[in-house]
Amino acid sequence: MSDKNKKIPFNEDNYTHNIERNNERRLDRRGFMKTLVGAAGVFAVSSLPWGAVAAKELMGLAEKEYPHKKITDVSRLPVGDAVEFKFPGEHDDAILIRLSENKYAAYQNACTHLRCPVFWVKDQGEMICPCHHGKFDVETGAPTAGPPRRPLPEIQVKVENGAIYAVRVKRYEA
Amino acid sequence: MKRSYIGVIILAAILMMNLVFTQYMVHQYYYENYVNVLIFGGLNIVLFPLAVFAYKKTINMRA
Repeated sequence: MSDKNKKIPFNEDNYTHNIERNNERRLDRRGFMKTLVGAAGVFAVSSLPWGAVAAKELMGLAEKEYPHKKITDVSRLPVGDAVEFKFPGEHDDAILIRLSENKYAAYQNACTHLRCPVFWVKDQGEMICPCHHGKFDVETGAPTAGPPRRPLPEIQVKVENGAIYAVRVKRYEA
Repeated sequence: MKRSYIGVIILAAILMMNLVFTQYMVHQYYYENYVNVLIFGGLNIVLFPLAVFAYKKTINMRA
């Protein structure tokens, strides 16, 4: 055997002769226990964000309140008709449907599939997305046909002095 | 040298509790029981100093 294998490489290139004592890399009882303690620490740290978001929910910070926005007058929206509006932002398309004399449904009408605008088909009584023919239930916003799998975000409305106002966007519920 | 494995057992039990609490915490979050989330998150955090304590107490024990 040649001396080649006994030569210790110079320090920056020394990836082989770096064991200082016997069984140095073996995981002994002490090392295993240290790993367990470390794992407990990781668990503790990783539960912090969950606690933070839970506390946020409890303090009601997640329930965002937008300034109420007038959509239209009651007299200008016959039963069974729909009107489009923007809520809460300038680019958040939404639709308000008058289902009966005193019943309204409002949703953000970006389809939950690929965000095409969902519109109201009066004679079929359905909300339809024209892009891939997704359908939504007008009572709940739940998808009933086509590619979308998630409901449309509902907007709470209120009627005041003959006008309809958008109040808030309901929390998305999975 | 005969070693005591009581520390390993205690720490494994703590880790098991960590797993259970974390799972429960996440599920309670999605069930929107936020108080339970805080309780179990707190328990998870308490378990860490407990684990350190158990490690220090048992590391030099001889059977």
